[in-house]
Amino acid sequence: MPAIDVAQSANSGKKLNRRKVRWWKSRTFDFLQFIALIAFVVWITWRSAAAMDYRWQWYRLPKYFYRIIDGELIWGPLINGMFVTLEIAAWGMVLTLIIGLITAILRLSDSFAGQVLARTYLETIRNTPLLVQVSIFYFVLQPILGINNPLWTGILALAFFEGSFASEIIRAGINSVPRGQWEASSTVGLSKAKTYIYVILPQAVPLMLPPLTGILVNLVKHSAILSFVAVFELTTEARNLIGDTFMSFEIWFTIGAMYLVVTITLSTLVGVLERRIGRGR
Amino acid sequence: MSDGTGKQAMIQLRGVNKMFGDFQALYDINLDVYQGERVVICGPSGSGKSTLIRCINRLEEHETGEIIVDGIRLDDDTRKIAEIRAEIGMVFQLFNLFPHLSVLDNCTLGPMKARGISRTEAQKLAMRYLEKVRIPEQAGKYPSQLSGGQQQRVAIARSLCMSPKIMLFDEPTSALDPEMIKEVLDVMIELAETGMTMICVTHEMGFAKTVADKMIFMDEGRIVEEATPAEFFTNPKNDRTKLFLSQILLH
Amino acid sequence: MVKQKSAKLTIGVLDVIVLTSVVALVGFIAYRVNFVLIYKWDWSVIPTYLFRWDEKTASLVPNLLIKGMIATIRVAIWAMLVSSILGVILGIARTSDRLLPRLVSWAYVEFIRNIPPVPFLFLFYFFISSQIMPILGIDEFVYSASPQKLAVAEFMFGPANLMTNFLSGMISLSMMSAAYIAEIVRSGIQVIPKGQREAGQTIGLSPFAIMRYIILPQAIQRVVPPLAGQFITLIKDSSLIALISVQELSFLAMEIAISEQRFFEVWIFTGFMYFTVCYSCAKAFGWLERRMGAHRY
Repeated sequence: MPAIDVAQSANSGKKLNRRKVRWWKSRTFDFLQFIALIAFVVWITWRSAAAMDYRWQWYRLPKYFYRIIDGELIWGPLINGMFVTLEIAAWGMVLTLIIGLITAILRLSDSFAGQVLARTYLETIRNTPLLVQVSIFYFVLQPILGINNPLWTGILALAFFEGSFASEIIRAGINSVPRGQWEASSTVGLSKAKTYIYVILPQAVPLMLPPLTGILVNLVKHSAILSFVAVFELTTEARNLIGDTFMSFEIWFTIGAMYLVVTITLSTLVGVLERRIGRGR
Repeated sequence: MSDGTGKQAMIQLRGVNKMFGDFQALYDINLDVYQGERVVICGPSGSGKSTLIRCINRLEEHETGEIIVDGIRLDDDTRKIAEIRAEIGMVFQLFNLFPHLSVLDNCTLGPMKARGISRTEAQKLAMRYLEKVRIPEQAGKYPSQLSGGQQQRVAIARSLCMSPKIMLFDEPTSALDPEMIKEVLDVMIELAETGMTMICVTHEMGFAKTVADKMIFMDEGRIVEEATPAEFFTNPKNDRTKLFLSQILLH
Repeated sequence: MVKQKSAKLTIGVLDVIVLTSVVALVGFIAYRVNFVLIYKWDWSVIPTYLFRWDEKTASLVPNLLIKGMIATIRVAIWAMLVSSILGVILGIARTSDRLLPRLVSWAYVEFIRNIPPVPFLFLFYFFISSQIMPILGIDEFVYSASPQKLAVAEFMFGPANLMTNFLSGMISLSMMSAAYIAEIVRSGIQVIPKGQREAGQTIGLSPFAIMRYIILPQAIQRVVPPLAGQFITLIKDSSLIALISVQELSFLAMEIAISEQRFFEVWIFTGFMYFTVCYSCAKAFGWLERRMGAHRY
């Protein structure tokens, strides 16, 4: 409903008393209930850990983050693992974008061989588990291609996996620009390449940004699977620490929280991007 | 409550105000609609016409003031609201037919599930009203197979199947192609001739002249003018009404 | 948007580039395998792990790879059932008028979407195996059950000694999948126009009747295809529970590869098995959807 002149209506209309909402139906009460529920879940977890005589040893944890030896700061395994995870995500993102872009170009092209290659790639990735893809990269392709660094094998495997999603995002973004834009561009005499650069991409890229950032979240999440093939990222470090210290709960809770901090930060960024772009339209 | 002639007011609105957040959609609305009366509401878009009739069957909740329909006061009591809604038929601008049900099932759902009538009874009822709106042959089809005009007539039949005492029309022809408007208006005129209490939000001034007992012009959430059609079209008092009429009659 | 099937699929520059690169890559791989690694392929290990000759019954019986595939599908079916129930509840809660159900559902979905599956699986496994399973009495059941009961349980949940692992793996898979199903259900409900609910109200239907006869029938039509996709996702994701020693396809592939020292053949063939199952499921669901679509309004 279009807004009428608010200033005028405020003057002429009498101030209204909102109908009172009963307290147990109010939003505040719902929110309090929600907090209580969260507290209850935490309490239950705590209690059940206590019930099985689990000895909480949180005090032993800080040294696995960092230690200060002779006034020098030395990062512990948890922080080092986090760095490796972030490194995987960062390089993975670069490779993902390259693979996604190439695949999208092949899919949008008229090239028969290109189409077949892109389709084969996409169907293979879509219909096999990531764990099996990682295994094939590590046990089969690593020796064949002569890569002698499991970290890069892992990054490559993840990039090929996420690349299938990236290519769909890029393709969908380009396809979402109406046909009329192509037609209008050709009537003003733009070539195909110029149409892409000046008309299509400026409209498509803002649409692609939020889901592409979402892929970064997925890279952080899925990098944990590389603990399976001896890449020393956060989850591997955690499993090794548990082997050494038997503090399974403390360490799983801690790295769970560490992952959440990173992914939620990135997810929030996606949300902000989406709103920004939504407003710009 | 009754007026001087002793006729029972079917719908009474007393000092009704309605907010959407900080935006006030209705200001101090007072309106009486009598049994068998046919009211046409017009006004520019955003003037609160739709909000007004949606308050009458409580699709929107008013903040202050009083709405009494057929002797029942609208408040938070959900049982009363179901009772009132069953007595008020409503026809929407976008038809709102149920796309997953056939035309016949669209019409029988209310009688069967809200009134508890048997399937055969409900189907008989539905066919009677489908004949009234002149599309009994479409009973087995799905809404998407019908034209807009046909869909709107099904929507009217669906409402009539609940044997309502009052019919509300919310711009029933404004989503239709010009050539289909007439078939819907014809059905509405026939309905008016049966003595149904009707409130129509519409810009079809020809229809208004034919059937209306009372014309209401709204602007910026207020009832600006309330008059008989004769007076309304020949001698409008308010400047905004004049402006509106001059614009709409040009089309 | 569907790419137009244009007649002008001709051999262009791009084809030449693509073909050259593919040939070069295949050539490089062949060179590395045959002349650098000097690898002798031996695919004969695969058939023996698909089927073996059983002396007692004198017949061919499924061996580890086939059994693994069956176990994988079994986990996926269970997880699909459990996560559908949980997901539908969460999805409906997400569209509630009240804040509390919306908040709870939102918190759950966001938590699952942001936590990596592997740590979640481990945490859940440690928690479940030490907490919930003793309460449910799974181990006691396994020790004390009659052979018939045990046979039924093994048919449904796999080997008795790994039932705890199976259940925790299955439940954590379900919990992860439920978050995605909740989103599918939520969007299925929310795309139904507001006018549908209002039309239901004006013909005097109760909120329950509106949900039952108007909203859900329309939502289900929209929700079934993505749910079928979710089942395929579950077949794939179930490979994760190999990490907690559930003997499904990936786990057994790992074991066979190590014991036979045939990593190339076993992993490639395992990938092929997953591909066959997932691809044919996708095709079958697509075919069913088109057939159902023919009867659609």
